Amino acid sequence: MSDWFRRIMASSAIVLAAGAVPCYAATYLTADQAQKICFTNATRFVAADVKLSPEQMKAIEKDSGVRVRLDTQKVWRAEAGGRFLGWFIQDEVLGKHEFIQWVLALNADGSVRQIEILDYRETYGSQIREDKWRAQFYGKEHGAKLKLDDDIKNIAGATLSSRHIADGVKRLLSFYEFALKP
Amino acid sequence: MMGIGTMLGAAALSAVADEQLFGFVRGAETLPQGQSELYQFVTLRSGKAEGAYYGLDFETELEHGFTDRFQASVSLENRYIYNRGVSGDRDALDDTDSYRFGGVSASGKYRLLSPFKDPIGLALRLEGGYVQHDEVDGLPEKEFYIAPELDFQKNFRDDTVITELWLGTEWAWGKQPAEQYPRELAFQGGLGVSYRFASNWFIGAESNIRAEYPLFDLNQFEHYVIYAGPSLHYSARRWWATLTCAHQVWGEGTGEPLDGRTYAEETNWQIRLKIGFNF
Repeated sequence: MSDWFRRIMASSAIVLAAGAVPCYAATYLTADQAQKICFTNATRFVAADVKLSPEQMKAIEKDSGVRVRLDTQKVWRAEAGGRFLGWFIQDEVLGKHEFIQWVLALNADGSVRQIEILDYRETYGSQIREDKWRAQFYGKEHGAKLKLDDDIKNIAGATLSSRHIADGVKRLLSFYEFALKP
Repeated sequence: MMGIGTMLGAAALSAVADEQLFGFVRGAETLPQGQSELYQFVTLRSGKAEGAYYGLDFETELEHGFTDRFQASVSLENRYIYNRGVSGDRDALDDTDSYRFGGVSASGKYRLLSPFKDPIGLALRLEGGYVQHDEVDGLPEKEFYIAPELDFQKNFRDDTVITELWLGTEWAWGKQPAEQYPRELAFQGGLGVSYRFASNWFIGAESNIRAEYPLFDLNQFEHYVIYAGPSLHYSARRWWATLTCAHQVWGEGTGEPLDGRTYAEETNWQIRLKIGFNF
């Protein structure tokens, strides 16, 4: 069997060599950096994490139509000289293989102020970081459809990531409604 | 020819598409436009009614996304077959220990519905190919085939539970002298369910069925077989791997005892390792 074994090994080595492109983790921003980008005039960020009750989780799921996986949400209040600017919410959604770490900044009235992608490690779909795509969400409020190919453009080749970010925004707008709204 | 075969490994009778959670079942996803993937598959087929039988299929496939909905691929196949004492009435084969060029194939897949934004994913797939040595005993033939199919996919729970179903036919000409009849029609399909139990990891189960009818005549039943088994899938950013271990759970063949197995063209086990690289 040695002859065929050599052939197999040779072909495998060539294929493996051809595919041995470098892998890399794509961490674009830390939460601290994103805070400064989302609220450029903020003077401080006050941690205000929220632990959801089972009832709140159910209410958010029912309202948004999106599953709530975690019962604790990392939240900061953005302030400038004692004036409330808005909310900064750190979140994660499922990518095709790994979690997409991202943040949602809300204005004081609860509308979407900004989205930043902190960490994206998927094979395809890093276009969700493009300003133009993220800008579609800005100004959206609770109750917006946030549906691909409707009020949100799909990114071809990154449909799963696009949909999960859109669902994430929808879920966090419901989270605001049920857990943050004064 | 051998140089090309050695360089590129080989492909079995299926040029397959995109990242694959299963060894044999196909879903409805396609590559994004401009992206390519290189696949290397190794399939071990082993276990006959008697004796020792090992068939190894080496597949190499290159696939490209021409649009976000359409991808096409080409593949080469080689195979190594070793058998000793497979000499019963139901699966008589000549002893052999040989490495053979299998053939070439090409496929096109068009996605009609996306599993990520439509109620169900659906793709049409057409494969065609030329087989120079058959997969059972490496016997020479000049087979041409086409295989149209439908690929369905439905995802659940934030796309962490993936179900895939494929249904198709295969029309083959020129199977003699490897087989008794020159033409053959096959109905084939499969169902798989996989769950993402950790980042990058999917575990699942799949089952596949194939029924063959010589001379394109549904009254000329030859055999049918059902395989089933677990699948394990790992994916990194630039590559992925899938291992499936499928066992013949039921089979029936003309001229074989009715004991729930068919061995004339099938085996007890089909174990497949797939590795894919994105670029």
